[in-house]
Amino acid sequence: MTAYIQGRNVNLTFRPPNRGPVRALANFDIDVEDGEFLSIVGPSGCGKSTFLNILLGLIKPDSGDVLIHGKKISGPGTDRAMVFQEFGLLPWRTAQNNIELGLELKKVPAEKRHAIAGRLIDLVGLSGFESHYPHELSGGMKQRVGLARALATDPEVLLMDEPFAALDAQTRDLMQAELLRVWREARKTVLFVTHQIDEAIYLSDRVMVMSKRPGRAKKIFAIPLPRPRDYEMRVTPQFNELKLEIWNTLKDEITV
Amino acid sequence: MTEIQADDLIIAAIPAGSDAPRKSVWQRFEPTILGTGTIVLLLLVWQFLPDFVPMKAGTKLFFTVPSHIAGTLWTMFATGSIWKPLGVSASAFAIGLAMAIVVGLPLGVLLGRSATLNAMVDPFITAFNATPRLVFLPLLMLWFGIGIWSKVAVVFLGALFPLLINTYEGVRNADKLLINVVRSFGAGEWDIARLVVVPNSLPFIIVGLRLAIGRAVLGVVVSEFFGSQDGLGVVMVRAASEFKVDVVFAGLIVFAALSLIMTALVKLLEDRLTRWRPQHSNAS
Amino acid sequence: MDEDVAPQQNFAERYRKPLLGALAVAIFFAAWQAIFLVVPFNPLFISKPSLIFEGYADLIESGDLAHDLAVSAVPFLYGFGAAIIVGVPLGIVMGWYPRVGYALDPLMTVFYASPLVALSPLVVIFFGVGVGGKALIIFFLSVFPFVFNACAGVRTVDPLLINVVRSLGGSEWDLFRKVIFPSVPPYIVAASRIAVGRALIGVLVGEFFAASEGIGYAISRFGDIFSLDRMFGCILTVMVIAVVLTESIRWAERAAFPWRSGR
Repeated sequence: MTAYIQGRNVNLTFRPPNRGPVRALANFDIDVEDGEFLSIVGPSGCGKSTFLNILLGLIKPDSGDVLIHGKKISGPGTDRAMVFQEFGLLPWRTAQNNIELGLELKKVPAEKRHAIAGRLIDLVGLSGFESHYPHELSGGMKQRVGLARALATDPEVLLMDEPFAALDAQTRDLMQAELLRVWREARKTVLFVTHQIDEAIYLSDRVMVMSKRPGRAKKIFAIPLPRPRDYEMRVTPQFNELKLEIWNTLKDEITV
Repeated sequence: MTEIQADDLIIAAIPAGSDAPRKSVWQRFEPTILGTGTIVLLLLVWQFLPDFVPMKAGTKLFFTVPSHIAGTLWTMFATGSIWKPLGVSASAFAIGLAMAIVVGLPLGVLLGRSATLNAMVDPFITAFNATPRLVFLPLLMLWFGIGIWSKVAVVFLGALFPLLINTYEGVRNADKLLINVVRSFGAGEWDIARLVVVPNSLPFIIVGLRLAIGRAVLGVVVSEFFGSQDGLGVVMVRAASEFKVDVVFAGLIVFAALSLIMTALVKLLEDRLTRWRPQHSNAS
Repeated sequence: MDEDVAPQQNFAERYRKPLLGALAVAIFFAAWQAIFLVVPFNPLFISKPSLIFEGYADLIESGDLAHDLAVSAVPFLYGFGAAIIVGVPLGIVMGWYPRVGYALDPLMTVFYASPLVALSPLVVIFFGVGVGGKALIIFFLSVFPFVFNACAGVRTVDPLLINVVRSLGGSEWDLFRKVIFPSVPPYIVAASRIAVGRALIGVLVGEFFAASEGIGYAISRFGDIFSLDRMFGCILTVMVIAVVLTESIRWAERAAFPWRSGR
C-alpha cells in the first residue's frame, strides 16, 4: 500500500549568493500514512524544516520525488497547510480575518467563510477573541489562530514547523494537549517538526530521527502508547524508555 | 545649581507604570502650565513693549503688536478678503500634494520591489531630495509662467520625495515570513502586494505624508513670494513692501494653521488605519 | 541554517548599487544630449549638456562662479554657525533642566512647525539684503533642528547612567562632562544634515528677493536673460553642493556613530 505522503531520494542544495553551497537534504526518504501523526526530530540545520517547505510547495527539490496521494507536488495547494513557528499572522487583520485568509484566496463567498471561521474559532477555543488583533493576543492564542487558519481550507495534510517553540513551557504543554484534541476531531495527516523529544513522543504515532546536515532519515520509532494520550503517560517508564532510545539515536548527530 | 531633585532621581529609576509614585496635580500639569505660560508671557511682553521701551519714531510706526495682528486677522476673515488668495494658495497646495501622492506611492512600491531599479534611480532621488526646491523656481517660471502651475511644480517636487522615500522603505520592510505565509495559502504576486506589502507600508506612508505636508506648505509660501501674481504669499509680500507688518504676521498664522490642520487630519487618518498596531509607534 | 562562510564578492557585485547609479546618471545625460537629434531644440526653453558644459567652463574661467558662490557662502556660514552656537546650548539646557524644557517646548514646536520663511519679506525690508539680513533668515531657518536634536540628545541619556555617576560621587559638572556631552554629538550631526537643507533655502530666499550677487541671484538673472545654459549650470552647481554637503554629513555620521541610521 503506497503511503499518503512519499519522499524518495530527495536532494536539495542551497546556493546562497556570495557564500558556499549548503547541502540541506541528501537522499532523503520518507513515508507517511494517511491520518498518521508523524514527528521529525533532528539537530539544528538538518533540513527538517526545509523538507516541510518542500512539502508546502514553496521550495523545489533538486532531485527526487515528493508525492502526496500519488501526485507530484508543484507549488502550494489547498491540500496542505502549515502552522508556523513565528505564527506569521497578518498584524493588521483580526483573528477571524486571519483565519479566513486561505478561504479568501480560494474565493469562498463571505457567508461561508464566516461560518467556517466561526466553527474553527470554537474548535481551537478562541471564542470571544475573533475581533482581536494579533498584538492583543498571547503567544498561545496566536498559535491557536495559526492552527485554525491552517485548518480553514480543510487540507489533507497539516504541516507544523516547531509550532510551539516560541511559547513558554507551560503554554507549550497546554497547546500540545489542545492540538491532540483538535486533531481527534479534524482527522488530518500531520507532519510535526520539533526539537523536543518529549513533545514528539507525546503527540505522535511515529517519530523519525534525522541525521545532521545533509539530512537523511536515520531511524524511525513507532510509539505504541494508547490514544487518547494524557499527561500521566509522560511519567511512565515506557515513555522514558522511548525517550532514552530516541535520545541515544539523536545525540550522535548533535554537535555542540 | 541643579534642578534635578531627589524626586526626579527616584522617578527616573522606577519604570513608569509600575509602582511609580502618584503625581500631584501640579506635577501632572506642570509642563502644560509652563509651556502655555511662556507663550502667554512672551505675547504680553510683545504687546506692551512699545509702551515701555522708547523707540525711534520711524520704528514705532511699523512695530506691530499681537492685538493688531489679531485685529487684522479678524478683519481679513470678516470682510472675506482672505478667501480668494487663500483659495489660490490652498489649491496650489492641494494639487501639488495630490500629484505627489499619485506619483510617489506607486513609484515607491515599484522601487521597493526592484533592487535594480532602485539602484539606478537612487542618485536622482538623493540629488533632488537634498536640493532646496526653490532653486528650480526660476526655471519653472520660464516653463510654466507665473500662474498656478509653477507653484504646483514646486509643491509637487517638495512633497514627492518624502512620500517616495517612505513608501519605498515601507515596501522594503515587508516581513518575508508573512510573504511566505501568504504564498503558502495560494497568493499570487498581486495578492502578496495587496495582503502584505501595502498594509505594511501604510505607517511609513503616513510619516512620509506628514513630512510632505510641511514641505508643501513651504513650497507654496516660497513660490508665491517670487513667482506669482496671486495667492496669500503674494498678499504678504505686497504688504511687506507697504510696511503693513501685521498683514505679514497674519499670513504666517494662516499658513501655520493650514499646516497644523492638515497634520491633524493625517493623524486622524493614521489612528484609523493603524488600529492594529501595539500602542507605541515611533513614527516621527 | 548556519552560514559561517564569509561572503566572497567580486568588485562588480560589491559595488553593484553605485555602479548601477552611475550608469543611470550617464544614460540620463547621454539621452538628454541625444534627444535633440529628434526633438527640435529651443534654446529659450531648455539647454543641453554640451552647451551647459561650455557655459560652465566660461563661468569658472571668468571667476564669476567662484565669486557668486563666495558671496552666497558668507551669510550661509554666519547664519549656520550662529544656529549651532545658539541652538545647541539652548537645546542642551532645555533637555537638562526639565522646567526649562517644559517652558520652551511648545514655543519651539510652534516656531518649527510654522513656515518662518513667510516672515522673510519682513527681515528683508527691515534689515536690507546685505549679509546681515540674509544671515538672519538663514539663522532662523536652521536653528530649530539643532535645538530639538540637542535637547533630544540630552533627554535620551540613560537615567541609569546618571544614577551610576551620581552614586559614585560625581558632581553635576562631572555628570555633564562624562555622560551628557559625549551623548550629544550624534544628534548634532544628524541635526546639521537637516539644517543644511533649510539653510540653503535661506540663501536662495535672501538672494531671490533683491540681491545683486550670489548664486541664487545668478540663477534668476540668467533666467531673465534667457541664458539657459548658464542657468542650468548654476542650478546643477547648487544641486551638487547640496548633495555633497548632505552626503558627507551622512557619511561622517556613519563613520563616527555607526549605531545610528536614517535618512
